[in-house]
Amino acid sequence: MNWRGIKAVVLKDAILYFRNRFFAVITMLGLVTFVIIYFVMPSTVDETLKLGVYAPGIPPEILESQEIQDGIELTVIPSEEKLKDEVLEGTYIAGLALAGNPSAEFSINVYLASDLPDEMRDTIEALITEMAFQVTGKPAPVKWQQEILGRDMAGEQIPQRDRMRSLFAVFILFTETFGLAGLLSEEFERRTAQALLVTPLTLKDLFTAKAILGTIMAFVQAMIVLAIVGGMNVQPLIITVAVLLGAVLVTALAFFMAALGKDFISVMAWGIPGMVILIIPAFAIMAPGITSDWIKVIPSYYLTDTIFQVANLEAGWNEIWSNLLILIGFNIVLLSAGILALRRKAQWA
Amino acid sequence: MTDYSIIAEDLTYLYGDLVAVDHINFQVAEGEILGFLGHNGAGKTTTWKMLTGQMKPKAGRAIILGNDIAKHTERVQAEIGVCFEYTNLYDQMTARENLKFFAQLFGIKNFDHAALLKRIGFEDKGDQKIEEYSKGMKQRMMVARALINKPKILFLDEPTAGLDPVSAEAIRSIILEERDRGATIFLTTHDMVEADKLCDRVAFISQGKISALDTPHNLKQTYGKRMLKAQIKENGGLKNIEIPLDTTDTPEAVRSLLSTEKVITMHSEEATLEDIFIQLTGRALKG
Repeated sequence: MNWRGIKAVVLKDAILYFRNRFFAVITMLGLVTFVIIYFVMPSTVDETLKLGVYAPGIPPEILESQEIQDGIELTVIPSEEKLKDEVLEGTYIAGLALAGNPSAEFSINVYLASDLPDEMRDTIEALITEMAFQVTGKPAPVKWQQEILGRDMAGEQIPQRDRMRSLFAVFILFTETFGLAGLLSEEFERRTAQALLVTPLTLKDLFTAKAILGTIMAFVQAMIVLAIVGGMNVQPLIITVAVLLGAVLVTALAFFMAALGKDFISVMAWGIPGMVILIIPAFAIMAPGITSDWIKVIPSYYLTDTIFQVANLEAGWNEIWSNLLILIGFNIVLLSAGILALRRKAQWA
Repeated sequence: MTDYSIIAEDLTYLYGDLVAVDHINFQVAEGEILGFLGHNGAGKTTTWKMLTGQMKPKAGRAIILGNDIAKHTERVQAEIGVCFEYTNLYDQMTARENLKFFAQLFGIKNFDHAALLKRIGFEDKGDQKIEEYSKGMKQRMMVARALINKPKILFLDEPTAGLDPVSAEAIRSIILEERDRGATIFLTTHDMVEADKLCDRVAFISQGKISALDTPHNLKQTYGKRMLKAQIKENGGLKNIEIPLDTTDTPEAVRSLLSTEKVITMHSEEATLEDIFIQLTGRALKG
């Protein structure tokens, strides 16, 4: 390997990267925006259910009793019509209107917002059963038994902004794909690669230099963002290894994009659909339950899942070693294929 | 014994079934300027790429400075300078940055970029970005870049194509200075006048084969016909007459012309390389 030549190419590309206003602006904008988004978002999760109640026959002190109030905020509303209006306006996720005498026969009208998820409707139904018991003193004919699977996160729900750490890291990493792929495709489009390859620099040296720059740029930016948003507070070594592997993945994909694209525009055209696919696992973490096992065929799943588990659930090497191993496997396959594709392009350039 | 900087032995290249370069053989002596002339698609660029290590021959070999370039590519490339027909400098970098970067690739310590910039007349333009240069300036920079490592062989592909006369002449001067320094020059060009003026020998390549290789003078002697060209007055207008020289009928034809016609102008003319190229390859170099 010609390390002197590789170093020269890395430094040259770093200069060209920051002289390209588009890359420079995107890089800085990405770093600043993600950090701002993180700190603007709430740092805690409000786990209280806010319900409105219209119950003319029930004294307010019963409704305000601690047993009913645990995790629920009940507000007594003076009329059923006002209750409906409040639910429609989104002040309460549901409204309960009691009709009849609570000591005898009575019915409960439940008003729900139209966009309330099914699971929340079930929760409210269970809550009403419980409240009915509190009010009437008659036990519900169902025996409830709870079992918490995995770590009980009650009272310490993960704030949405912390769930987004994986998204920030993946987004920053994959944005870098465009920068590297752009530099590579320009090298062939402007035929400067040919000028390099009639010096003692070989194609292997050139690819190594590009891979080093791409990996460093992606790695450093992702690490900066993660450090600022608290992603490095737990198990920094695991996070560092995961992000490094993610940066190598980015380099491999950039090689592919550069091989497919003729110029920066076509690189963007190939890259954007790819980037959307690679970001899906990060969105899945933000909204659990929206995806199934198919997501595991996307290489970035193993990166996002590792960052999420380590940064938010304090997972250690034992829990995530398989993720890292799979990520290494993806890197080897994709990097080899990317180099092969780019080599073919270089030979025909 | 002559030392050859370049030896092509049965050099061959195929694109699929198409033979681009067909078992060509030639040598270029140390300090010699060889002009490589051919029309588009003749195999000129493919040969040039094989000689500079950009392509590996399918058969035969190219011995550059005593090394088979296909086997010792980097070793040879450290000793040669290559100037492309098209501009492939880094536009976003200054002239000085471009030169320093390539000097680093060659591992040159204490590289004197100022001297090289001065040599191409860019003493005060070194900090300008290449994108601000004119075509002629860029081409001069291309030549300067090829000289960074003080090459033993300089490969130049159409170095003056499409340039203004001043830039073209500046580049020709550099080529001659390099020859005087002892460098071997391999020059591909469409410009027959340039080849005639600069080259010690020229090779004509057509359909992947070398159809002639000699000094311009010898080629003209071997293939060219000297002519006497005259302009006479006839029926109130002018008429051009050509009389071949070097034939047994020449004295009589000239005597007859002078005694019977009113000659306005008369001069002898040598065959040009262009004429010989057409004669040997059956088609003109340009167009």
